[in-house]
Amino acid sequence: MTRPSALSAGPLRPLLGARMPTVATAVLLVATVAASAVLQDGFFTPYGLTSNFAAVLPVAIVTVGQVIVVLGGGIDLSIGTIVTLSSVVTVQLVAGQPDRLPLALGAGLLVGVGCGLVNGLAVAVVRLQPIVATFASSFVFAGLALLILPTPGGEVPSLVTLGYRQVIARAIPVPAVLLLLLWLAWRAVLAHRFGRHVYAVGGNEGAAYASAVPVTAVRLLSYVAGGTFAALAGFALLANSGSGDPFLGNSLTLTSIAALVIGGTRLSGGAGGAGGAIVGAVVLVLIQSLVFFARVPTTARELVTGAIIIVAIALAGLLTARGRGAGP
Amino acid sequence: MTPFLEMRGVHKRYGGVVAADGADFSAERGEVHALLGPNGSGKSTLLKVLTGVVAPDAARVAIDGRPLSVRGPRDALRAGVAAVYQELSLVDELSVLDNLVLGVEPARRLGFLDRGRARAAARPALDRFAEAFGGRPPAEAPVRDLAPGERQLVEICKALVREPSILVLDEATASLRSGQVEVLLSVVRELADRGVLVVFTSHRLAEVQRISQRATIMRGGRTVATVPIPQTDEGELVRLMVGELAAPKREDRRGGPAERQVRLKVSNLAADRVHDVSFSVRAGEVLGVGGLQGQGQSELLATLFGVLRRRNGTVRVDGADVHASSPAQAVAAGFAYVPGNRATEGLLLRRPLVENLALPSLGRRSRLRLPLSRARELASAREAAVRVNARYGSLDEPAGSLSGGNQQKAVVGKWLPGRPRIVLMDDPLKGIDVGAKAELFDLVRGLAADGAAVVLSSSDDRELTEVCDRVLVMFEGRVTGELSGPELTEDALLASALQVHGNGP
Ligand SMILES: Nc1ncnc2c1ncn2[C@@H]1O[C@H](COP(=O)(O)OP(=O)(O)OP(=O)(O)O)[C@@H](O)[C@H]1O
Ligand SMILES: [Mg+2]
Repeated sequence: MTRPSALSAGPLRPLLGARMPTVATAVLLVATVAASAVLQDGFFTPYGLTSNFAAVLPVAIVTVGQVIVVLGGGIDLSIGTIVTLSSVVTVQLVAGQPDRLPLALGAGLLVGVGCGLVNGLAVAVVRLQPIVATFASSFVFAGLALLILPTPGGEVPSLVTLGYRQVIARAIPVPAVLLLLLWLAWRAVLAHRFGRHVYAVGGNEGAAYASAVPVTAVRLLSYVAGGTFAALAGFALLANSGSGDPFLGNSLTLTSIAALVIGGTRLSGGAGGAGGAIVGAVVLVLIQSLVFFARVPTTARELVTGAIIIVAIALAGLLTARGRGAGP
Repeated sequence: MTPFLEMRGVHKRYGGVVAADGADFSAERGEVHALLGPNGSGKSTLLKVLTGVVAPDAARVAIDGRPLSVRGPRDALRAGVAAVYQELSLVDELSVLDNLVLGVEPARRLGFLDRGRARAAARPALDRFAEAFGGRPPAEAPVRDLAPGERQLVEICKALVREPSILVLDEATASLRSGQVEVLLSVVRELADRGVLVVFTSHRLAEVQRISQRATIMRGGRTVATVPIPQTDEGELVRLMVGELAAPKREDRRGGPAERQVRLKVSNLAADRVHDVSFSVRAGEVLGVGGLQGQGQSELLATLFGVLRRRNGTVRVDGADVHASSPAQAVAAGFAYVPGNRATEGLLLRRPLVENLALPSLGRRSRLRLPLSRARELASAREAAVRVNARYGSLDEPAGSLSGGNQQKAVVGKWLPGRPRIVLMDDPLKGIDVGAKAELFDLVRGLAADGAAVVLSSSDDRELTEVCDRVLVMFEGRVTGELSGPELTEDALLASALQVHGNGP
């Protein structure tokens, strides 16, 4: 039995408040999947599923990274450029040779961790505004990526690209399995003290500090987690495309933010989660390919995609705002 | 012999405001030690230095004779200090249980949470307060769904889960009703018997006198005296706290407004947690709303102000039907409302004081389509601050930097415009010191004398007897009793609130 306080009260509260983002996200998922099934030939064939999951996975991974940062009360505007930087480092080091994979992947991961550390130090220790600090660092990371790989190129071992598009047991694409692993990783974060502390710091920093939560460390680590997930997303992008590109992941920054908002995560921190955000990533990727399959003229694609995303975000936002109970 | 806890030369300034000016404090194991002083005298600051939330400019702290360097709440926690802060420190989105163990989560290997042990750690505290919660405390509910009194109880449980050897209670009773206070006081007594030092801050002197053995009094950031409680009467405590100013006197003003016109008439009002409530208030009358914690008092006021949806019933103001479905409509009908939760509805804690105080009058100005003028904003903010005699450093500082009592004064000043016809106040006097209380009493009586009808809920029965002409007692959303004239005493209020409990389902 709970007694709602006077101004957030209402019998519909549990229905509208806590579950509404999930309801809105689910509605969007069903709508985009249905539209894709109609417009994309062979959407439900193993081939169709594989290529869709292959496109979704990198976006979903970055989004989970962004979710951790945002839940902790921050934001990472450099996350897409971290994807790019770690992917160009990886592709340059691997140089098409499978035996160099461990080295290249290790280095790529280190780059992600390092970039996250830089952001985390700037925000948590130097106490710069997250938007400003990560906006600035995004230019540094993007610039470094261009120095390392000035033009598209580099070769990913075919072992990786082929493996990425394998289908297990006739119907289960490898990227779908990886997506499941991603979700399990998120569950592990939730079951860990760190996850709890991230929610506390983003929800009420003062309360977290007074409760002896190590606020600075939590904040720092949230950016490190963001950078780490960005590096993993870079690997998925490489596996999907087969070669490197100095702009490979840059656009993922805004995509990740849009995806988490669609998934019901609050931009001011402390509320939401990666479950919804992963669905948000699926919705976004499907919208982008829908615009392609609906034969929208190339020049109008950006506009149409943008418009649909705005509608999706507005829908998620409207349904969420309703439940929040209006104050005076 | 060295005292168990010793703090010497605590200095802290915030910009131009000196919050602690060489304060000293010492107390013994197994003692309930009250820390008293007017609003803004530095009590919370001193306590936060002890708990590591505030870094002092200078201070020496020793526990058991051993010097302690407190660089943050973690150090204090390790030294056995746990606290209930005046501004509640819970995370809204986390569940009650998660809040109880926040920062001290029991974990398995590698830091993975152990829910079972968390539950086990929280259970004794929750069980101990079950009666005060009015049933099984909702361990899985998010804290945001709790009423202010319940949040306060969760906060107290959270401190107990840390098994402190020094427990700091900064105004922990401010939003509790008498039954809940009793539970807390008995827990405090048990802890003290087991050797825990309890430092207790409250503006309710009756509580202080019942529970504590000694009191240290602060004024202007310094400790002015430490006195043994049994030998010091209330008048003396007040004199030590506020200097020459006398305690609020109980003037007899009952039976004045009987012949004035009925200003507000409420019939069969129903809303969430409000059932079939009828009453009327005359111009010039102060009507109290009391009873146990969370019996629909806040909801009743919020419904009248159009914040909560009315399901049934009529509201008449000066004989005319009013159906306010939004605060704006209620204001147009002559209502003013002082909300009960200052952190969420009363103030924008991070915005400057000037914006806060001038905010409710912005509407009036923007209707004239004038750009906001800084000078006017300052003037109306200053006027609001003067009205309630709030103490502040500068109007440009964030509202959250005021002492708890001064924040409460700012809430009242902010929400009381010039001349309302009906004033609704939800527990407006919590955390306000004796001197300021007398001033706010005068303010409320003044509003009534100017012809307003005042409806005021309070968690403090004594306040109700002092300021109200008549008090309605609520239970489970219904009005179950009414007291006025010579019947209106603290004992009668408590009896009325509890008696219903006995007969209830
Ligand atoms: N964070 C802050 N920034 C600026 N000034 C502050 C801050 N915290 C406290 N102060 C100022 O320090 C002084 C002492 O405040 P403190 O909260 O210790 O008073 P208090 O004795 O606890 O009062 P109350 O009874 O109202 O709770 C006040 O004048 C207050 O405005
Ligand atoms: Mg205080």
